[in-house]
Amino acid sequence: MTMVTDKEQLYQQRLKRYVTAMRKGKPDMVPIRPFVAEFVATYCGYTCQDVTQDYQKAFDAVIRCCRDFDWDAAVANMVYVWGGLPQAVGLKYYRIPGVGLDENTGFQYLEPPAEEAFMRADEYDELIKDPTGYLFNVWLPRVSTDVVPPGRPNTFRNNLSFLKGGMAMLSYFGAFPAQIDRMRRECGTVSAIAGILKAPFDIIADKLRGYLGLCEDLVERPAKVLAACEALAPHLLHVALTSADPSKTVPIGFWMHRGCVPFISMNQFQNMFWPTLKPILQELFKRGHQVLFYAEGRWAAHLQTFRELPDASIIFHCDMDDIFEVHRVLGDKFCISGGVPNRLLAFGTPDEVRQRVREVIRRVGKDGGFILDASAIVQNDARVENIRAMTEAGREYGVY
Amino acid sequence: MTSNQQQPDRVHRPPGVCIPWEEKVRELPRITANEQLVRKTWEDIDALAYMYIWHLLVSS
Repeated sequence: MTMVTDKEQLYQQRLKRYVTAMRKGKPDMVPIRPFVAEFVATYCGYTCQDVTQDYQKAFDAVIRCCRDFDWDAAVANMVYVWGGLPQAVGLKYYRIPGVGLDENTGFQYLEPPAEEAFMRADEYDELIKDPTGYLFNVWLPRVSTDVVPPGRPNTFRNNLSFLKGGMAMLSYFGAFPAQIDRMRRECGTVSAIAGILKAPFDIIADKLRGYLGLCEDLVERPAKVLAACEALAPHLLHVALTSADPSKTVPIGFWMHRGCVPFISMNQFQNMFWPTLKPILQELFKRGHQVLFYAEGRWAAHLQTFRELPDASIIFHCDMDDIFEVHRVLGDKFCISGGVPNRLLAFGTPDEVRQRVREVIRRVGKDGGFILDASAIVQNDARVENIRAMTEAGREYGVY
Repeated sequence: MTSNQQQPDRVHRPPGVCIPWEEKVRELPRITANEQLVRKTWEDIDALAYMYIWHLLVSS
């Protein structure tokens, strides 16, 4: 049994505030939930390399930020890539700070040239027939420096890759419950999300064919792309369900990449992206899970489509769209989050940040169903005084 | 658009599974007692292998 302490009371108060807003209610005040990543390193005097290579340092930095800032919820470690796993498996699609990358640049995803994509254009049938088998037998040997495909001579490094990779993943994932408990006990801060979802379409673009390869396939072999999305969907649903909050309190994080106009056409969105994503979202909601739409970039062209989802089934996080327009279109159905542009946090003044917070709360947050946040993940370009101003202004103007 | 044309036959490997119990059990000596206990142990560990590859794809 958890002992009731001051931190526990604070936690319960913040949890109620956060959940009420996510369910479209009006809490006692606007919840503050910044998705702070490399910012926590800057704040604690660490480099990006420090927090990427040593997840305990990343965890400690999150704890220190949660202690020092009056945030209702935060992510347990938004610098989510721990260097141990890519090293153990020899993953080729990363640059980790300090290894071929400046120590103060956040980790980067690499996309190979289209002709060297991790999945070839003529392999759709193999993927569709057996997605899990394809990933182990074809994809993993291509994305790893050490894994050899079936039929090739085995190697010491191949064996080690699976052993070290599996143990590294368990070590890292297994450390999160204690970190979430620390956030609660030491800071009274709620862990903002649990679990992960990506759209089938984005998985093909991000990790299999590459964006350019996918664009070619949308013209040359659209039925194969659709069939691949349909084959991936049940697995992505399973990953989301098995990584979600068992208590169904906090939402599943859904990271939205290049499934919107103008990366793809409206026709492709309506006929491929959305029909292979919507059933996943409906099933998650049917099972009691909310989903946080982390709508990176601009999704204005698709807001009306998102209205097809049940009321309060998602929280729509606004990045580069006009948040006032997003609120006008979606505000009656879903909680909205965001509001403070990262550009302002990096280059603006504390006074400008305060004015922005005041305006967003007045226009978007006035009836509840709003969570104050930066527009996108906060990296090490954000100024500490601006994050402080955002937090303090959120409290000053956010009381209902 | 439909994808229901000339698609390959699917391998029976449902979400959460790498090597189905039905395939594994054929390799084992006759199970003389509680098969469900053996099956659960197999499936719980098999699910970790599934988690490994799918989280490499989705989460990392």
